[in-house]
Amino acid sequence: MLKTFFPTLSRFRLAVQLVMLFVSVYGSVFVGTYMADKISNNLPALSCAYDQMNGGYCVLIPTQHIIHHRIGEALVRAQQLTFGMVLPLLMSFVAFFAFFFVLGKAFCGWVCPLGTLQELIGKLGRRFGIGLRRAEAGDLGDVRRVRPVKWLLLLALVFVLPLLTGLGVTPHSLGNPYCDICPSRVATTLLTGSTEQLALRVNDGIGFGLGAVANLLIGFTLVGALAIRQPFCRICPLLAFNAVFQRLSPMRLAKKMHDNCGKCGICSEACPMDIPEIAREEGRKAYHEDCTLCGRCAEYCPQDDVIQLKWGPFALFSSRRDYYKAKVKGELPDGTVKPVKFVRNPADA
Amino acid sequence: MKPSSVLALVAACLPAIAWSQHENHGTPPASAAEVRRPPAPREWTRQPLLLPGKNPRGERAQTLLRVQGIAPAVLSVHAPAGPAERRKVDYPVAPEGARIAPAAPQVGNYHWVVAREESAEAVKVASTAWYFSNPGDSPKELLRSVKHELEIVPAPLPREHGSYRESEKWRFLVRFEGQPLAGQPLTLETEFGSRSTFLTDRDGIATVLFPRDFKPATDQAGGDGHGPRRARFVLATEKEAAGRRYLTAFNHAYGQDADRDRSLGWGAAFGLVGMLAATPLLRRRAARPQGDNGNA
Repeated sequence: MLKTFFPTLSRFRLAVQLVMLFVSVYGSVFVGTYMADKISNNLPALSCAYDQMNGGYCVLIPTQHIIHHRIGEALVRAQQLTFGMVLPLLMSFVAFFAFFFVLGKAFCGWVCPLGTLQELIGKLGRRFGIGLRRAEAGDLGDVRRVRPVKWLLLLALVFVLPLLTGLGVTPHSLGNPYCDICPSRVATTLLTGSTEQLALRVNDGIGFGLGAVANLLIGFTLVGALAIRQPFCRICPLLAFNAVFQRLSPMRLAKKMHDNCGKCGICSEACPMDIPEIAREEGRKAYHEDCTLCGRCAEYCPQDDVIQLKWGPFALFSSRRDYYKAKVKGELPDGTVKPVKFVRNPADA
Repeated sequence: MKPSSVLALVAACLPAIAWSQHENHGTPPASAAEVRRPPAPREWTRQPLLLPGKNPRGERAQTLLRVQGIAPAVLSVHAPAGPAERRKVDYPVAPEGARIAPAAPQVGNYHWVVAREESAEAVKVASTAWYFSNPGDSPKELLRSVKHELEIVPAPLPREHGSYRESEKWRFLVRFEGQPLAGQPLTLETEFGSRSTFLTDRDGIATVLFPRDFKPATDQAGGDGHGPRRARFVLATEKEAAGRRYLTAFNHAYGQDADRDRSLGWGAAFGLVGMLAATPLLRRRAARPQGDNGNA
């Protein structure tokens, strides 16, 4: 039954992504108006707090707010050990570990609404024959040059600036700077029909500048995703955040070395994050910080049981030769499918 | 040291993620912003009001509410959850007002506050919803429960990061002794002098349009330091029953239309620049030699 509707892991993941996109953008229809009714209170933060119709919350906004309002202000008042700080701290970690215990980095590949949008745009690009560009030597350049950006954004915009703002060092406009440059904020609110987040604040120079960056990013992402897979994910601080704790979750990518590893490179070709380590390495090194647990490498590995998606000791999906053969008939590892043609080639007539 | 190790250290030192704590510290839906505002130079309404008093230390766990146009003995604070004996707590009203607090930790942000003045002929009630930084239950049950005879009940209250705003329509339920009142007039007055009346439908719901009436910022109205400007409004309704006249008011704050200090044109322009910047990527790259997968 399940195989009838979801013959491949990709199809199943797409279905999950579309459901989660709906929940994270319009979920209040089901889970209620108020924040206390959001599934974020029971499950991980899902979507943008600026979207008034969503069913959850992105984890980065409470992080910035806690650091800004709780830690910064608490330090200023020398009340570090009061309930105002200790209790939120404990609650934060309990909720955080509960989330990562269940999903791990699969949030990025299965739940994130901006990730889903980028993938859908990428599918359009492949469908209309737009050539795929890759972060690799000989094309856009070595992917390793981009990797530090997400860590810098996480450190500077999610931790340091909100803390400095809470301490009164930087202006209030820098209280949640990551949200202010986040393209997902613009995208998800546009999906609800609101242009408020696309519009820039004109009476606040910092707000204007941060908003302009967000709009540049969403504009670049929407068009760039036609040619590059997951362009924003590569610098997303949430990917870095997830990476910090990825070893703590039972949900993981497991890879054994095979004689062909590093030679065929099909898994790396299939990887939407252009991670070359998946082809060359094994074990912990193959489960790279950029991995979103989408499972495409496992789908396109032609060797039995070499790459697996695992939760604890349980293999949720394992690479198989017969699966690989069936999969490449419909879609090549780089996502290429039979392109749509508006004009019939006379030679085909 | 790897960047991931550095971040692990930072994350271990700071209270990282707390979606469930978001309501604990985020932008309250309006009322807290009022606290920093100077008092209005003159009364803008004759309706009974519950107004935030001075909160120089910016405390989130309690607040001072003062009364205007009514002389209650106590302020009754209804909690959305918590122990039964704390679901309704009365605070004596001093000349400067009453300092109120959440019923208990983690019972919910919104608390319903009531000031009541009663005589043989009339019952006057001022009410408001106060947002504490106190995550917990949503206000659904709080709003559903009957607190006094004639009630104006927001349906719904603004959620976190939201607020009543100019040019928006919000629904309010008017009920008497728990039953919806159809065809009941509900009058809106704002700090900027607007006044309009709305009638409830057969379900007792009045759809209130907040007027676009913000004046340019002055010392008296609007600015609250940061965030969108806010001003006060009051909704009021009256009813005669069993020889008594009931007057109930609900007051809160509303914000200016976000369009006033935002530019969609600039926003779209930067979005287009971003799109243009990405268009070179759409050019087909030179074909790679056969067999070169870039991973060698």
